[in-house]
Amino acid sequence: MTDSRPPMELTCDEVRDLAAGFVLDALSADEAAAVRAHLASCSDPHVEIDELAAVLPVLGESVPVIEPPAALKARIMEAAEADLEGRRAEAAVAVAVPAPAAVAPAQPAQAQAAPAQEPIPLRPAARAGASPGTWALRIAAVLAIALLGGWNLLLQGQLSQARSYQESVAAVLDAAAQPGALTAVLTPEGGSGPSGFAAVESDGSVTLAMQALGPTAGDEVYEAWVIGGDGVPVPLGGFQVGNAGTAYFEATGVPAEAGVVLALTREPGPGATTPTLPIVSSGAAG
Amino acid sequence: MSDPAGPLLRRVASSADDADRAVLARIANGELHALDELYERYKTMAYSIAYRITNDAAAAEDVVQEAFLGAWRNAARYVEGRGSVKTWLLSIVHHRAIDAVRRRRPVADLPEREDVPPPALRLPDVWGEVSANLDAEAVRAALAALSDVQREAIELAYFGGLTQQEIAERTGTPLGTVKSRMRLGLLAMRRALIEASP
Repeated sequence: MTDSRPPMELTCDEVRDLAAGFVLDALSADEAAAVRAHLASCSDPHVEIDELAAVLPVLGESVPVIEPPAALKARIMEAAEADLEGRRAEAAVAVAVPAPAAVAPAQPAQAQAAPAQEPIPLRPAARAGASPGTWALRIAAVLAIALLGGWNLLLQGQLSQARSYQESVAAVLDAAAQPGALTAVLTPEGGSGPSGFAAVESDGSVTLAMQALGPTAGDEVYEAWVIGGDGVPVPLGGFQVGNAGTAYFEATGVPAEAGVVLALTREPGPGATTPTLPIVSSGAAG
Repeated sequence: MSDPAGPLLRRVASSADDADRAVLARIANGELHALDELYERYKTMAYSIAYRITNDAAAAEDVVQEAFLGAWRNAARYVEGRGSVKTWLLSIVHHRAIDAVRRRRPVADLPEREDVPPPALRLPDVWGEVSANLDAEAVRAALAALSDVQREAIELAYFGGLTQQEIAERTGTPLGTVKSRMRLGLLAMRRALIEASP
């Protein structure tokens, strides 16, 4: 049993009451967060959660069998191959740049935005794969970032932050290299603050790399918006940011038209339908 | 709490699961062929669940792609973790699919998913061991153990992506009753699984 109450103030009995909803993923955001907070701090193992969840595979086995289209495999393998190439290229850059010795193995570029479940690009088959020119761009960009940021940026404490942003920018460059893609540089309203780089592809997908973002807390998210010719902001989705202050974000539904504005706001929770001002960073595609 | 299902839940993982773990270890090493193998093994299961939840072929494809790329990128994390590869994948597919369904709905109170693993990923090996040993008879027995109202509540949550509160509103049932139906339904399935296990 729990003697010291977790932050969201659920008792063990209340967690047991919510257990079925928790394992079925049928709680509200607040309830689910409260259960997780309780489980993280409670000395009781709450085996009822495991017992209830252990039967869920039955539900998965009960669905009508439908074969996926053959093309899906090609899409997945192509995306995985591109991911692998990206890792290798980043490893090559890490060797080329005289960074401090303790360089971690290449990780997915999205790790900063969502450490537990990285956002994964959809339909990457629309991308033609990285051409030699793209890799040259990538490497040049990564080197430029490292140089512009100054070698001090690569000193121990900030190394991972710099690498994360480099990897994100490399992914954006990949998208920007596609035929018909537009790019946008996002800058803060006041001249200093969060900035980033985005690519809008002809199929409406957008890829965004940001840095110097304040870390989010609790349910707070950064929400990306697209503002077209009608001036109405349309939400693209939200993401959270850790202490590194960097983020990588992908979405779809952005018109690939010059002048369309991408903007970022800080929202108290996911699912915002109107932006909470101020706009922390924005830029027009062109 | 005592565990009357101990013999079932502590069963040694199947050889199929061992093979899956080996495949995932190769994926963690960046072997594309291993991802190909994993996909071939579970593509039908993954797509069937995704389609059942999203009821949309394109969305189901995206969900499956996300799930397998998630496995590709996080395989090393899994190897250090736990449980059956099959059910690990299933849980990823389920959560991604529910996310997709909820994104389509004008619901402000979306569960936050960016910073926490889905519930199944915190589970010990029992999750995988049960799943690895499921056969058609056990599945039928477990589903048959549900009353109609229990099945409705569980399916609206698991396949429909509805919260307990939304289920209560949709079915005109008190929230407490919905919670009870879910809990008692899952417990009934569990008992049936135990009885059906060899």
